[in-house]
Amino acid sequence: MIGKSARRQGRAFLTPTVILLLCFTIFPLLFTLALVFGEAKFDEGGLRIGLVGLRNWTRLVHDARFWNAFSVTIRIVVAAVTLEYLLGLGLALLLDRKIRGRGIFRILFLIPMMLTPIAVGYMWRMIFDVGRGPITGILQRLGLPAVGWLTETRLAIYSIIITDVWQWTPFMFLILFAGLQAIPRDYVEAAKVDGASAWQLFRRVTFPLLAPASIAAVLLRGMEGFKIVDTIYIMTGGGPGRSTESLTLFGYSIGFRAFDLAYGATIAFSLFLAVMVGAIVFVTLSRRFRYVRLE
Amino acid sequence: MRRIAAFGVLALLVVGCAVALAQTRRFEGVTITVFTQPPPYIAKPVLMFAPDWERLTGAKVKLITAPWGELYPKMYSSFALGQALFDIVIAPAAWLPDFAEAGFLAPLDELIGADPYIAWGDILPVYRDRIVSWAGKIYAVPMDGDCHIFYYRKDALENPEYQARFKAKYGYDLPVPPRTWKQVRDIAEFFHGWDWDGDGIINYGVVEPRRYAGQADWCFFSRAVGYVALPDQPGGLFFDPETMVPRINSPGHVKALEDYVDIIKFGVPGMLLMDSGEVRSVFASGLAAMAIDWGDIGVISDVGEESRVRGKVGYAVLPGSTEVWDFAQGKWVTLAEPNQAGYLAFGGWVAAIDRNSRNIAAAYDFISYLSRPENSYISVTTSETGFNPYRASHFEKLAGWIGFGFVNPAAYLGAIRDTIDHPNVQVDLRIPGAARYFEALDAQLALVAAGQKTAKAALDEVAKIWEQITDELGRDKQLKAYRLSLGLPVP
Repeated sequence: MIGKSARRQGRAFLTPTVILLLCFTIFPLLFTLALVFGEAKFDEGGLRIGLVGLRNWTRLVHDARFWNAFSVTIRIVVAAVTLEYLLGLGLALLLDRKIRGRGIFRILFLIPMMLTPIAVGYMWRMIFDVGRGPITGILQRLGLPAVGWLTETRLAIYSIIITDVWQWTPFMFLILFAGLQAIPRDYVEAAKVDGASAWQLFRRVTFPLLAPASIAAVLLRGMEGFKIVDTIYIMTGGGPGRSTESLTLFGYSIGFRAFDLAYGATIAFSLFLAVMVGAIVFVTLSRRFRYVRLE
Repeated sequence: MRRIAAFGVLALLVVGCAVALAQTRRFEGVTITVFTQPPPYIAKPVLMFAPDWERLTGAKVKLITAPWGELYPKMYSSFALGQALFDIVIAPAAWLPDFAEAGFLAPLDELIGADPYIAWGDILPVYRDRIVSWAGKIYAVPMDGDCHIFYYRKDALENPEYQARFKAKYGYDLPVPPRTWKQVRDIAEFFHGWDWDGDGIINYGVVEPRRYAGQADWCFFSRAVGYVALPDQPGGLFFDPETMVPRINSPGHVKALEDYVDIIKFGVPGMLLMDSGEVRSVFASGLAAMAIDWGDIGVISDVGEESRVRGKVGYAVLPGSTEVWDFAQGKWVTLAEPNQAGYLAFGGWVAAIDRNSRNIAAAYDFISYLSRPENSYISVTTSETGFNPYRASHFEKLAGWIGFGFVNPAAYLGAIRDTIDHPNVQVDLRIPGAARYFEALDAQLALVAAGQKTAKAALDEVAKIWEQITDELGRDKQLKAYRLSLGLPVP
């Protein structure tokens, strides 16, 4: 039984958290929700929100710019997260062995993740610069023509993906490496005694046991990937044209450049829905891999 | 008796000193907040002059900043919510109608009239009478005079050998400075892709911003103005001043946009993603033969520590066109001389006061202090302030410009003055919602520049969106505002 005073104490400890949650999470969410079904107008009386029903959503589904931003975001997330996972897994498997300088490599691999996306954006923008970048210099020395990594509509999105992969592969590596370290050595040794080849060992033991860590890493990185904005803003500003405009950048432009708060909020909410639906689908599909049966 | 007289004199001195002190430190204990973009550009003069003003008045100045993209919403929401978070906003002139029309700003007519230091008559008429006024009242004080001018490398365009080669190739003398956009195109092509300044680095024809949200939209209008702004047809650049129907998709605008895209192939590599800040650095690094910009390239080229073009830059009013779209006749007309109407792109930065500010007198005093002739002269002749000349006295005293590092200030100031004083100078869009109209255009310009849309299709789309914005904001209200901004009678 919990006494009255203990309950009171509990409430007292919880209240600040609840207030903070209400102020910084629930209120903005409700405000955004009101904007999504309304229109925001500033006049002498301050901010007024009038309800307009589904008008913002109708506009959204008919907006070619929204679908372009959606497609750009999906392409970046799928390509970048896949590559990050494969590279992160490869690096984790390499460093799971006893090799010289393992500690130094581990630290080196983590450096990109410690940089701010803005700094990473500037760095890669310089690297990809068609006029003065080092890649252009190398290509010219080899007698090859300069490539507009960021200025050619076709290529710009790949440059963004490469940058994202460079920065966030260490995140995958970190989680997968921890997952590998947690696999009981008995299983591996038993498989070796049974004569399993390296591939069989990976396919039948390591990979299945790594599934929970893999699911968590892909889910977290995927959810973060949907929100990509800073590197794109610095590297291409969403261009050339709209070839690298992500959903977040589109929402920012509408909300804070065109100052259309309601439509900007609708875009933000659509991103929230997309991430939520994506996460639910992914978690549902991955359930079958979570509890593995070692064959 | 002597003792009484001495005491009287002493008392008078004490009272006099007290009165003087009270007058000089008349805002003791007051803190005013100034809101603008982060230093150095625009905020630097605030930081330069605040300490002196604080010493003189006893007040404190608190500078609050936000990135360019967040200035407008933060200013607007602060005004609209009535919180007076900022006593002073230093904002683009184009936003003044939005704020003034909504009743957010304190009228300054009386304060300016009673101010013995501001020398209001010294401010050039176009800034004094048009840029900071709305519906017959003054709502701001100019801090900066903005117009686009044309820059070119004298060592390239004036080189006799290159001139001979140019004539052999194009069949006419290389014009210095070029007077039409057609000439600019030919010169850009001629100087593109070879080392014409002999420094071992490949040079290019032009550098102009083409990045979305990188101030490229003003460059588009700088090109359009010569094609669409006939002297006797006000409003050619934006809307029909009788109906508020957009003129943005006229054949003149389409031609300007085609030029705007065509010149990219003679631009510095990567120009497609450059904003105006990068354009300045690139021009000062010596890579390009020509550029369009506000006064900033002039400053960075001659004064910038890393400039490689000091003393090599020529200045001119914007080129134009002999073929001009006549809105009255609905057809192209051919002029004997190129139509080189100036364009007050952006219109400069102005300082205004929140109507709800509790410190209007102190806020005005600080604005006046920043703008008075001797201080503003220092601002416009100091690097990284982002402020360009806007007072007659700024153009008259060359000593400060030479001290600043300018090699040929008379030519630089001449090009700016010729633009501002041009009888057909076009003022930027100054109506409520200006930022939204420009955003819609900017988004389409980026598509055309990237080859994802044709000029005509993009401008048709812009016209459609502009119509929607006008309807949403109220056509009659917008028409009235537009006519006011053009100085036309309002029915």
